[in-house]
Amino acid sequence: MAHSAVAPSEQYNYEIVKKFAIAAIVWALAGMTAGVYIASELAWPLLNFDIAQITFGRLRPVHTSGVIFGFGGNALFATSYYVIQRTCQVRLAGGNFWPNFTFWGWNLSLVVAGIGYMFGVTQGREYAEPEWYVDIAIAIVWVTYFFIFTLTLMRRNQPHIYVANWFYMSFILATALLHIFNNLTMPVSFFGTKSYSLFSGVQDAMTQWWYGHNAVGFFLTAAFLGMMYYFVPKQAGRPVYSYRLSIVHFWALSFMYMWVGTHHLHWTAIPDWTSSLAAAFSILLLMPSWGGMINGIMTLSGAWDKLRTDPIMLFLITSLSFYGMSTFEGPMMSLKSVNALSHYTDWTVGHVHSGALGWVAMVSIGSFYHMIPRLWNTTIYSIKLIYVHFFLATIGTILYITAMWVSGIGQGLMLRAFDEFGNLSYSFIETVAFMHGPLAARAIGGMFFVTGMIVMAYNVYMTIARAKQEDSVPVAAAAKA
Amino acid sequence: MAKPVKDPLTGAETTGHVWDETLQEFNNPLPTWWIWTFYGTIIFALVYWIIYPSWPIASSYTKGIGTIEYKNAQGQEVTRPWNMRSLFVKDMQESESALKQKEYLAKVSAASYEQIAQDNNMTAFVRSYGKGVFGDNCAACHQTGANGVVGLFPNLVDDDWLWGGKTEQIEETIRQGRLGFMPAFKETLNDEQTTDVAEYVLSLSGLEHNAEAAKKGEVIFNGQTGGCYYCHTTEGKGLYSQGSANLTDKVWTIANVPAAADTEAKLKAVKSVVLNGVNRQMPSFNHRLDDTEIKVLVAYLREMSATDTK
Repeated sequence: MAHSAVAPSEQYNYEIVKKFAIAAIVWALAGMTAGVYIASELAWPLLNFDIAQITFGRLRPVHTSGVIFGFGGNALFATSYYVIQRTCQVRLAGGNFWPNFTFWGWNLSLVVAGIGYMFGVTQGREYAEPEWYVDIAIAIVWVTYFFIFTLTLMRRNQPHIYVANWFYMSFILATALLHIFNNLTMPVSFFGTKSYSLFSGVQDAMTQWWYGHNAVGFFLTAAFLGMMYYFVPKQAGRPVYSYRLSIVHFWALSFMYMWVGTHHLHWTAIPDWTSSLAAAFSILLLMPSWGGMINGIMTLSGAWDKLRTDPIMLFLITSLSFYGMSTFEGPMMSLKSVNALSHYTDWTVGHVHSGALGWVAMVSIGSFYHMIPRLWNTTIYSIKLIYVHFFLATIGTILYITAMWVSGIGQGLMLRAFDEFGNLSYSFIETVAFMHGPLAARAIGGMFFVTGMIVMAYNVYMTIARAKQEDSVPVAAAAKA
Repeated sequence: MAKPVKDPLTGAETTGHVWDETLQEFNNPLPTWWIWTFYGTIIFALVYWIIYPSWPIASSYTKGIGTIEYKNAQGQEVTRPWNMRSLFVKDMQESESALKQKEYLAKVSAASYEQIAQDNNMTAFVRSYGKGVFGDNCAACHQTGANGVVGLFPNLVDDDWLWGGKTEQIEETIRQGRLGFMPAFKETLNDEQTTDVAEYVLSLSGLEHNAEAAKKGEVIFNGQTGGCYYCHTTEGKGLYSQGSANLTDKVWTIANVPAAADTEAKLKAVKSVVLNGVNRQMPSFNHRLDDTEIKVLVAYLREMSATDTK
């Protein structure tokens, strides 16, 4: 095997990974704080202060875009650029310019979109809110990302492509496809912000949820599985449990996900056949999803003691447990009979967050704690603070999910309860009053999670500051001499 | 190229691929339980697809073997492949709660308000069904408990009615909506005159007031200067036909006199109404609710509020 004589920090383009990693943490703080604020608005509406720009409807996409594309997106750019270089043993393609282009292009697009949301500029498509001009910018950035990734892969110094890179590749390809087709719109004017979708009615809804669910499938699942496939075995120092399982579940997952989007539209004006087709495919998706969980958790076989001594491992394995739980819950909720209860309630919100906080955020956090000290060629500032972060994040996530189960299932049951006269037992407003307690608990759960992120930001800041200090010491000493 | 290696811990063999110095993978087979559960989900999906409409074929789709029987608009029994709309129709025709509700609604719709009030069963139904209709249509303004918001939306559970509390009056209010209007007097009366009128209004409901000013106020109230008596009558009791408030009782719907700390604040509250007038609107529900729903709502409100005292 060809081993380079130079240090990794010179052999690989770590500068771009560092930028994306720091941006991810900044977006996490901003996006999650926005989330806590809107969660608090739902519990205590007074917090609207009658300012249109900060009402729930305007801030909600700021939160979702901030955490999914800001935090999640930057974390994926960072880790994919890190993983592909290390597993291909080659420097990132595109020189210094193109990777930097993806960094500034991606983040500026998000800032422009986010400011727009607060002033009511939106396409009104969930998770695809940016208007046409931001969509075009994102498409250009994404195609650049695709080329950088593919060219790096083609130049690899390894005979095989590591499994993590299959997942990153499928994520980049699918996201390009989804983003472009769902955002086919006609701008009203060249200098105006407004545009209209090329699709209408049922087709528009189905295109949107084909996009929406595959954003979950390829952006929030496949891509983070790629992250998992590198950082779990690397941190555990153990081989991946099963190569064969990784192949089977990769292809099964990629194939199945594309069919299930319509389960977001059960019991609406869509044709019945689209509904049952999507529901059955959602059930078929259960085991392919679990393949990733099994492969991750079983990688620890023979090294379970690491859970006692390594808080990074705790983050990674907990994230896989939440992943397993939410990929079981999802197919259940996509059955029409269960969906009749869960749809339009907080159960959906809880489900999304058991994936978003428990899986996506925790696997990224674990990976970052592994990667960041290596990027700056140092050790982490405080292991104790990683433990603190772990418990804050876990308590926050569990509080959040439990509150949403109570709120969502409770409201669902109230809305379908009949009294002895055959009348609905509760008016809508009574179900809202019931939700106040759980909504407050959810906001508090979110506060726990954000507090954990603040601890992480501090820990990372101190790690980097110390690394810079260490670097400058010999220089200063040399200058004196 | 590295060769497959046997792991000393588990005895499993790796594929022989190595990346990034330490990354390897075992060549373990698929877990048996995983693969059998996967087959299980495939069988589930196949059964689901056989029962329900699921696969598109050209311009049609497989209808599935599941069927739904229900009565169509002509009353004929029809059988259709499983679909959401038929399921809903069937549920509305046959479910236990739908049948019970239908029976009660028919009874209430045929009964008079007196009959409803005298029948415990119908009253209980009205209380339950009315709560839903009220919650969905009225509570946004009048609040869930129907106690309104002072200054904005009238309280419906006290014994005071602006437009009358008889069943036919309540029904008219719901059907036609109401315009609660009192002109602003800031262009007509000067500050002293406004104070005098307000003192008189306070005296009408037996509150602390300046007797001398109230006497002057009475002249304005019942004379051509103010003309308040047109609507509020010379006794200050108001008229249902105008929706004008009774000023002699303890109920205040616009000026929040009971909440005012002292006499000065009470006076200020009343003066503000005289100066600025009132402009309230309740929308018509004639086309939003059907006859039975309106009937239930009237009986519900009638039953919730105290007896009409005027």
